[in-house]
Amino acid sequence: MIEEFLKHLFPRAVLQKNLTLSYTLCLGGLAFTCLLLLAASGLLLLFYYQPSPAAAYPSILLLESSVWGGRYLRSLHRLASHFLLVLIVLHTLRVILTGAYQKPRQLNWLVGCALFFLAVFEGYTGYLLPMDQLALWATQTGMELLHIMPLGGALRAALVPDGVGEPACLLRFYVLHILMIPGALLFLSGLHFYRIRKNKGVLPYL
Amino acid sequence: MKRGYVKSSPHFFRLIKAALALTVLALMALAALVPAPLQEQANLARVPNPVKSAWFLLWIQELVSYSKYLIYLVLALAACFLALPWLSRTTPPDSARWLPRECRAVNGAALAASVLVLALTLVALFCRGANWQFVPHF
Repeated sequence: MIEEFLKHLFPRAVLQKNLTLSYTLCLGGLAFTCLLLLAASGLLLLFYYQPSPAAAYPSILLLESSVWGGRYLRSLHRLASHFLLVLIVLHTLRVILTGAYQKPRQLNWLVGCALFFLAVFEGYTGYLLPMDQLALWATQTGMELLHIMPLGGALRAALVPDGVGEPACLLRFYVLHILMIPGALLFLSGLHFYRIRKNKGVLPYL
Repeated sequence: MKRGYVKSSPHFFRLIKAALALTVLALMALAALVPAPLQEQANLARVPNPVKSAWFLLWIQELVSYSKYLIYLVLALAACFLALPWLSRTTPPDSARWLPRECRAVNGAALAASVLVLALTLVALFCRGANWQFVPHF
């Protein structure tokens, strides 16, 4: 039944020349694969992670030292997040260099832009969670970059009401990272794929 | 079946399955070779020097290290990026192809911006030492 449902997400027939790898390089599909891998590995990490300043770092130490495959799982999650960002950038560049952003695909271009910004925000919120020195200071620097932007102060206050790495900040980053941003990413990915199918009749892009 | 078309199953699905399997296997193999770093516990009293942001934001940090007003360049770039379909006045081609002649300006700007972001990231990543001093690694 699942296989039948998945088949219905795709068109029944496709242009044979669109299946040439050099055409799209499959970059969007590879990025989505990374997103699925991130969801799977992140779900397993949730069983051990504790989102409080005092317990976060010890929970990572426990994961790495006492849980079978814990260190590997964290490495996989981190590596997949790096690849997701790189693949989204390359996919975006491919879309620009093949002119696939042009009308009538402008709505899907905006959805893709939203996916790109959300993926960066997802990476940023995840950076703080291990609560080691690298996490704390990278997040702190990111907040300073946000602060110099117009309206950045208000955004910073909403994200970090008490200071980077403090309880409310860590909790907000955690909820954003595991629930809100992934939910938005999956919803917009669905919309992105739907729009590709909708536009297919007009321009033979994959 | 119309001329030039093939059924998604198995032609398209075979490609998707192969790409999915290769990506997952490559990432799983790489994860075994590249462990995620874990430094000492976060401590606000111990400030590292230099302090660097996440790698994907480093190009912005490098840019604003020259002048904080360059943040407006980042915002302008983001605005152009969003408005790209409306900025380009060329007629959409009948079929997609790499580097279409009629989109030379957009393609050139996109490639230049990509090279700039990459160069700024590499400089910030490898050539910035204590107090954000330039430390050449060549």
